[in-house]
Amino acid sequence: MKRLLAHPWLTIRVQLALGAIFVIAALPKIADPPSFAHMIYNYRLVPSSLINISALVMPWVELLAGLALLLGVWKAAARNVVGIMLAVFIIAISINLARDNAIDCGCFNVADRGKTHEQRIFDMKVDVFRDLGMLLMVGQLWYAAKREETTAKAG
Amino acid sequence: MKRTTLFQTAALIVAGVLVALVANAFASRDRKLAVVGTYPNALKVPAREIPVATPTPTSPVASVPTTTTEAPATATTQPAATAAIETASLNPAVKKAVTPTTTAAPTPQPQPAPPSQSQFLPHPDKPYVEIGYADVKALHSKNALFLDARRTSVYEQGHIPGARTYSVWESDIEDKVRKLFDERSDPSEQAKAIVIYCSGGDCEDSHMLAQKLWGIQFNNIYVYKDGFPDWQQRGGAVHTGANP
Repeated sequence: MKRLLAHPWLTIRVQLALGAIFVIAALPKIADPPSFAHMIYNYRLVPSSLINISALVMPWVELLAGLALLLGVWKAAARNVVGIMLAVFIIAISINLARDNAIDCGCFNVADRGKTHEQRIFDMKVDVFRDLGMLLMVGQLWYAAKREETTAKAG
Repeated sequence: MKRTTLFQTAALIVAGVLVALVANAFASRDRKLAVVGTYPNALKVPAREIPVATPTPTSPVASVPTTTTEAPATATTQPAATAAIETASLNPAVKKAVTPTTTAAPTPQPQPAPPSQSQFLPHPDKPYVEIGYADVKALHSKNALFLDARRTSVYEQGHIPGARTYSVWESDIEDKVRKLFDERSDPSEQAKAIVIYCSGGDCEDSHMLAQKLWGIQFNNIYVYKDGFPDWQQRGGAVHTGANP
């Protein structure tokens, strides 16, 4: 089982999938920073002075990390960045779920989609599960790298 | 974690910051963001509004009654309350229109006379007063200044005729607010009614813009609570394109 989990066939696919997801997620935010700033504002977690700079920087970091995974360069660094971002997203959405603040997550689309409170809460739960799934993918990459390192040392 | 990995992680983040700043510097006006924004309620979770089931209006005048506003979150230089108005009955004509009658058979509501501009008195103690369609319509017919707080791209797809685009999320908002202040720096001009709207529902952009204007002495600001979707739904005139 451990060998299968760290198998290069799986690892390369997970890496490409994560990279593609992060590149796709970054593009609408890069195209429309004011709308993404609005999304960040809706989370009510980021201090006023940091909202715009977060909206400007986060999508580019997402894009660079995604590209690094797709191209297979600086894989460990990109994996760290993606893992940290996913953890932040999960915490941020969970806090808002806990306080019943229904928001659009702004993960892949930054347009206001005019959903109802209930629809948004449902989508937020789905988003948390989706992000947890992606965090598991990061875990797989980390595990495969660790195993590869151990094997190299032993060999 | 290896030192190289740490360095590469930091390099990815620094590269992201640099590229973001350069991209923002060359972005078009409606895509550009001020690096530091001012959002007074950034950490304040809004109270949830429970939607109230209301019957479909039979005529455009049967509008949502007006409501009062909450206290602003920012400190401003506004004077103390001097002429607060009764916000629940800004437009007596509207109030009359929604009063239930004892007549069994449904009869068409009489078209009320639009209220005069003098009914929309300055309210220096409040950043804004929320109003409904009938009041907005009355102010529109009196040529009050209308500001559209939605994104410029959305404004161009359709807006209330005469409204100017004032998106609080775009980098030129402070310049526009300053320009408006220059245009209306005289106290008598500042007391003239200004109507601000966005997309209704939980859209707060109009409230944010109202607070900005109130902070620089504008004291007769009205927020169209149900916003542009309501205006469209009730058959209000719509103008498209970049010009008011």
